[in-house]
Amino acid sequence: MNTMLDDACVTVSVDELRVHAGRKALLGPVSFSVNAGNTLVVMGETGAGKSLVAQAILGNLPEQLHADGVIEVDGGRVDNVPVNVRAASWGRQIAALPQEPWRALSPLKRSARHVSETYRHVAHHADPEAACAKAFEALGLTGSEARLPGELSGGMAQRLAFAAATAGGAPILLADEPTKGLDSDRRARVVELLSAVPRQGGTLIAITHDVAVARALGGSLIVLREGEVVEQGDTRSILAAPSHPYTQELIAADPSTWPQTLPVAPGEVLLKACDLSVKRAGRLLIEGLDILVRAGERVALVGPSGIGKTSLLDTLAGLQTPASGLVQRAGDLGTRAVQKLYQDPPAAFPPHVSLKVCLQDAARLNGTPWTEVEDLLARLAVPLSLLDRRPDAVSGGELQRVALARALSARPRVLLADEPTSRLDPITQARTLEMLAEIADARRLGIVLVTHDVDIAERWAHRCVALT
Amino acid sequence: MNAMAHDETSPMKQRLAISTSRMAGLLLFAALGGAAAFGPALVGHDPASQSLLDARQGPSAEHLLGTDHLGRDMAARLLSGARLSLGLALLSVVSAGIPGALLGVLAARSGGWTDRLLTAFADAVLALPGLLLVLMLAAIAPGSWWALYVGISLTLWVEYFRYTRQRARVVLAAPQVEASRMLGFGPSLILRRHLIPEIGPGLLTIAAFGAATAVTAVAALGFVSVGIRPPQAEWGVMMTELLPYWREAPWLILQPVAALVLTVLALHLSVGGMRRP
Repeated sequence: MNTMLDDACVTVSVDELRVHAGRKALLGPVSFSVNAGNTLVVMGETGAGKSLVAQAILGNLPEQLHADGVIEVDGGRVDNVPVNVRAASWGRQIAALPQEPWRALSPLKRSARHVSETYRHVAHHADPEAACAKAFEALGLTGSEARLPGELSGGMAQRLAFAAATAGGAPILLADEPTKGLDSDRRARVVELLSAVPRQGGTLIAITHDVAVARALGGSLIVLREGEVVEQGDTRSILAAPSHPYTQELIAADPSTWPQTLPVAPGEVLLKACDLSVKRAGRLLIEGLDILVRAGERVALVGPSGIGKTSLLDTLAGLQTPASGLVQRAGDLGTRAVQKLYQDPPAAFPPHVSLKVCLQDAARLNGTPWTEVEDLLARLAVPLSLLDRRPDAVSGGELQRVALARALSARPRVLLADEPTSRLDPITQARTLEMLAEIADARRLGIVLVTHDVDIAERWAHRCVALT
Repeated sequence: MNAMAHDETSPMKQRLAISTSRMAGLLLFAALGGAAAFGPALVGHDPASQSLLDARQGPSAEHLLGTDHLGRDMAARLLSGARLSLGLALLSVVSAGIPGALLGVLAARSGGWTDRLLTAFADAVLALPGLLLVLMLAAIAPGSWWALYVGISLTLWVEYFRYTRQRARVVLAAPQVEASRMLGFGPSLILRRHLIPEIGPGLLTIAAFGAATAVTAVAALGFVSVGIRPPQAEWGVMMTELLPYWREAPWLILQPVAALVLTVLALHLSVGGMRRP
């Protein structure tokens, strides 16, 4: 059995790795090697091929993709070994922490069993229950052994997935976007967990689009753009002095570097909530809140996950009745004058219908001429050819812009945006919010933006309401 | 394969992609359906006309599939049976499927008491063994095809209802429908854009299995002499009539059995490659 401590020279080395789909090149050539006790960070925007690196190392690339090049794990060549043989090393030699780890947990299995089963069946540990209890203690999960993953908070589920992934004692950990959609507090804790891996002699390969996470993890860095390596070297020195314009753009897209929005002259009041209380599933989340939304104004709602931001937004939208208090709309605001943008754009579109049909329906129902929608799409830099596709065949950033165009075709006065960019990479996030601001200014829209990112709230919005 | 996976419309193509076995099922079903619709006119024999002198003949130019123990033309009888079974199956699929699916959407949409009452009713029907209901109705009107039809429809609608209700609840509660409602989508657009594309393929699968169940039920009841009565040509009735002669003329009993097996096989294969509910 391998443990993190007694294998000193575990190495992942990749030479001239290329991934193709038929004749189309998706990734490469990528070459790197990581020694035990070191970290490799792979950065790039969504669709740059970051996850393909991890999948090629593990050997679980989608069937229609093909990888070339030499991959060595722990001194042995693995790229020419069949997947079912390589699967034997999963969890024992290489562990993978998937994107959005709570999706990797079984909803019907108690938390402790996720971890103790790995100790028993993968690591063949003599006393799996004791090992599990120790891991729970180390991760601050003690007390939640008997709970189901659905009863854990997002951060706890993440730590549980981490415990389950590492229980096999694998010295190499692949973490794919481990901080996606987490607030800064949880992000810091996940980074702490990950950086413990190289400190204990393991090898960490982390895939992220978050500049702050990359900086905190250190080690060496590969910046990918459209499958090609644009920059490679020491993480801290690249982030301090990026030479490639794309890396510079990636760093500049980080919300902490955005310019401060200038204040505006507030327009008429569109939405007003007085002494509002919001309940979800019988639990009182927000009490006695007053909010004003004026024309042309951008209001940010910030607060940690689970505080009731989405419930509050739904209450403002009239989708949920307040526990007490009132939400008043300006007299001339119709039912469709308030529209919403969603956190997960694919979930907000009918999956089996082309985007064009969806937009045409929305335009027709709201009496908006199609040419106006086309103009809007052009301003949002959405090519019209994209509209023949279904929501799952376009990128998240593109879909969020289509969602914006769709909402605007109802000629709203207020736009309620529920973490509209939390699943997008920083460059796409910056562009999307920039466009949203531009259009909101031009149309004098009132915007309520829910976010967990304090930088976005402070820099992008005119006014910030913190929920605690 | 590779080229297809990266085609821009690939999710759609994959959904509609027809596997070899599904194609075989569809072709077989089309052939059976065509034979049931046009065959009786082409054969030129009356399925009921007897000629004891010509009893139990092998296949010939005059009688393509031979004659039975009463000298009736087997081809005419088989095709007439196919028309009856497939017709009944098709009718019961329509009359069970449409109300079942609509009630499912109604239950999912309304929730509360409407949902509870409909679900309780569906569970009550489900608690009865399917054939028992058909037998009860057959006892009221022995030998009539409409009793079979009503009985089978009453048994089968529950599947459509339960499936539709379950799936529609998820879809209707999802952000996709909320977003559409906020944009002003009415019930008919929600149905067309959200529910039908999501639930349709599953309903088609249930319909094919339901039709197969109906065909088997009609034959089973005919075989035990509580369904369609002789002299009407029906596969189950034919099996009972020809069973005594299996030693002397095995090809006779084999024919209705093969027809039944092929029909059920065709229906099952025709939805085999689709997403399961």
